[in-house]
Amino acid sequence: MRLVRSWVLRLGELFRKERREKDLAAEIESHLQMHIEDNLRMGMSPEIARREALTKLGGIEQTKENYRDRRGLPLLETILQDVRSACRMLGKSPGFTAAAVLTLALGIGANTAIFSVVNGVMLKPLPYRQPERLMSLFLHGRGTDRGVMGVADFMALDERQGAFEHVAAISPSTIGFTLTGLGSPQMIPGTSVTSDFFSVLGVQPVLGRAFLPAEGQIGGNLSVLVSHHFWEQFLRADPAAVGSSIKLDGKSYAVIGVLPWDFHFGPHNELWPILQLQPAKQRPPYWLLTVGRLKPGISETQAAADASLIAKQVHEQFPLSDDSSTMVVPLKDLLVGDTSEALLILLVAVGFVLLIAVVNVANLHLSRSGSRIREFAIRSALGAGRGRLICQLLTESVVLAVLGGLFGLALAYGGVRTILALSPDVLPRMEEITVDGRVLSFTAMIAIVTGIVFGLVPALRCAGLPPGRSLKEGSRTATSGRSAGRLHGALVVAEFSLALVVLTGAGLLIRTLSHLQSVNPGFNSSHMVTALLTLPRERYANAPQVTSIYQQLLERVKISPGVEAASITMSLPPNLLELTNPFHPEGKPDTPGQPAPAIGEIPVGTEYFATLGIPLFRGRLFSDQDRSPATHVLVINENMARRYFPDQDPLGTRVQTGEYNPKGDWYTIVGVVGNVKYQGLGEKDQPTMYVPYFDSGWCPWFVREMYVVVRSASAPEKVVSVLQSAALSLDNQLAIAHVRTMDQLLYESVAGSRFRAVLFGVFAALALVLAMIGIYGVMAYSVSQRTHEIGIRIALGAHRTNILQTILREGASLALLGVAIGFVVALALSRTLAGLLFGVQATDRMTFAEVAALLLCVALAACYLPARRATRVDPMVALRYE
Amino acid sequence: MGERADVWQGTLALMVLKTLQALGPLHGYGIARRIEQTSGDLLAVNYGTLYPALLKLEQEGYISSEWGTSDNNRKAKYYKLTRAGRKQLDKEAREWEQTTEILARFLAPGKESA
Repeated sequence: MRLVRSWVLRLGELFRKERREKDLAAEIESHLQMHIEDNLRMGMSPEIARREALTKLGGIEQTKENYRDRRGLPLLETILQDVRSACRMLGKSPGFTAAAVLTLALGIGANTAIFSVVNGVMLKPLPYRQPERLMSLFLHGRGTDRGVMGVADFMALDERQGAFEHVAAISPSTIGFTLTGLGSPQMIPGTSVTSDFFSVLGVQPVLGRAFLPAEGQIGGNLSVLVSHHFWEQFLRADPAAVGSSIKLDGKSYAVIGVLPWDFHFGPHNELWPILQLQPAKQRPPYWLLTVGRLKPGISETQAAADASLIAKQVHEQFPLSDDSSTMVVPLKDLLVGDTSEALLILLVAVGFVLLIAVVNVANLHLSRSGSRIREFAIRSALGAGRGRLICQLLTESVVLAVLGGLFGLALAYGGVRTILALSPDVLPRMEEITVDGRVLSFTAMIAIVTGIVFGLVPALRCAGLPPGRSLKEGSRTATSGRSAGRLHGALVVAEFSLALVVLTGAGLLIRTLSHLQSVNPGFNSSHMVTALLTLPRERYANAPQVTSIYQQLLERVKISPGVEAASITMSLPPNLLELTNPFHPEGKPDTPGQPAPAIGEIPVGTEYFATLGIPLFRGRLFSDQDRSPATHVLVINENMARRYFPDQDPLGTRVQTGEYNPKGDWYTIVGVVGNVKYQGLGEKDQPTMYVPYFDSGWCPWFVREMYVVVRSASAPEKVVSVLQSAALSLDNQLAIAHVRTMDQLLYESVAGSRFRAVLFGVFAALALVLAMIGIYGVMAYSVSQRTHEIGIRIALGAHRTNILQTILREGASLALLGVAIGFVVALALSRTLAGLLFGVQATDRMTFAEVAALLLCVALAACYLPARRATRVDPMVALRYE
Repeated sequence: MGERADVWQGTLALMVLKTLQALGPLHGYGIARRIEQTSGDLLAVNYGTLYPALLKLEQEGYISSEWGTSDNNRKAKYYKLTRAGRKQLDKEAREWEQTTEILARFLAPGKESA
């Protein structure tokens, strides 16, 4: 305690030095006077009295000095003094300071921005109570690693499991709910969840309550929890709104609670209606995402074993279904998904940019310390210790780095916003990406480490020289010696190799993006508008109701001016495949233990192929003749024909989808159409089967959510209003949502690749500019140092083009060496990018060659200016300069 | 040299505290004189070393200081024992006595060899 107290007091002394100094002088003076008076009284002469008093005291200055050491914190004072002198030095050369601070700010800013993203997405724990115990459960072995569950699986788990405090199911495929009764009908994003969902997460509503178990039962009250934002926007932030009811998809739901304003789970969800599950008669379809909160002390493996046992029992209950085990995956892994890899690669790239910045500043520093060698030599001759000098130079560089860090932080703040705006749906957990304490300490750390790293090189060099030699060298125009030149050169080489690595990465990713964008999606995307239409279950209970509304709607849309064609579909290219289903050709019974292949099954309207411009290769398309009586026909794509019917004509073959049932309906293949991408432009072609929506086994259930596709020459907004008015004129409670042009969908589908390409591109541009500045600085410095030598050469008759060539050759050889080293490093590192590439090898020769050529050109361009300056050296001036 | 200085600093602090307890508030010069007299001029140290010691004691909160006027009507900084200082004095005096006692036993001539 006492120690702390005295340290605090000593720290405080820093701020009231002047007064304390006067105080001390007065105290010593009074001491001396009293002593002198006593001495006089004892009969000494005034002179001797004074001398005796001084001797006894031990000298005024020594006493004061000892006193001061005890008073404040001498080490801290030295540091402050160094900082002050560093600031003075930096202020004296504003050009150098500005260049260094800007360079560092760019490097540190970029790093801070990317680290904020990494922090928000990967490092922060999930914003729920005891997030490490939150898990998600998957069925493992049904052809997929992480298969979602069916109702039977979830209900059995909910009833019998012992490893989790609570489990809950989420219906992840729901896009939203049509809200009616509050203004015009609107589609509000939301996800239905079972009653324990909020107990699993450990989230309490700020108003009202969470679901009751009874509400989760079939026949229980329909209730909904709403987001804070929804409550403000639609319920006027009225506390009394809790208890009122709202209409979702035509059904009345009681609003039982409002969630905290910062609650989020998955992207943009506003509504959390209760999910009431009907006991299952069969195991598929699989559509429930299951989450659970582990009991304390239970491990993931134990939980997985327990849940797998239950999955076994479910399999025994439904022997026709696949035998799968249960996998337990931390919820965070599920939410973060596979972004981690790309983020880490970005972090490494941006780290390289920082290294280049550091090398640049070290170079600047080194050039400057070259001209300061004399100053240090004199100081060291006057008795300054080596440590002291190093300390001072380091202080200077740390001050620079801290300044750079501060500016960098401002850049990062803007950068994070830009990144978020650039990538609306690329990053998970976007709400959590902020500049927080951890980010700040990261920035502080890299700033200080950076300062020490780039300060250490010149500091060691400066302080290491024997003063005699430096003073002698310094008498000439500080030709800072051969070793300094070599050091400069090495730094440039390092810069170029780092730049090559970053540029190669950017080149590969940009190529990937351009390949993706030129993939043929299998249809004509121009002049096409798509929108999602959801039919409320209440009023569209059976198949005829569903079919008739779609028919009427399409008829109205088709006769609208400007509309060329219109149809509906459950899945949209290029990446919205909603449903896969196993299929079994007739006469080829399943081999036991080998589940039938699950492939994309898409219920579509009759004119779907014509509307999208998908070519028919063989057979026929759907027509209204297939309606009634239902003909049970299928159209398959070319890939499916080739893969599953390699040496037979698929036309006329009968197949069955879903679980194999000999007495069930058989569908005849009547046509083969072109391949269309439904699982992303980067995916290989996949087998797909199309079925008329009115004849699909999913009608009316899943067919209540369909995309309308319209081809029209008019502007997209016009098409939307046509769609909207057509829908409203048929049913004033229908809302259309997710309006996009097909070109937009194509564009958005490669958002992840674009995000990586753009960021990498920005970093590469930074790296390139920094490397260019670096080589320019070094060459300019070298020319200025060698003015004398060049002058002599010119005087001796060297041709100016010779001089130009010499300088250019020097610069080019540094760049070339850097490029060569970078080449090897890039070859080794680019493999890590392989997973993010499309249509280009990680060791793509063209990319490597282009990048190397670009860097060499940039190097030559950067060297040209100093080289030309060298040829302009006037020999007379250069020689007289000495 | 460092060690001796430490011992000196430690004992000096004790002497200062004891002096202030015996004489009440006193200025630096007075404390120095008193210590010198009490030690019978055996301790010939610079008065200057006293001031950092006083500062340390003050920073630790054992004494407090205030400007006042001396008998000769001279302005001087007076030091005074605080409550914590009194306790510290008791504690250190006890410890010192113990130490000297132990040392005395060690150094007493011939008892063990006898």
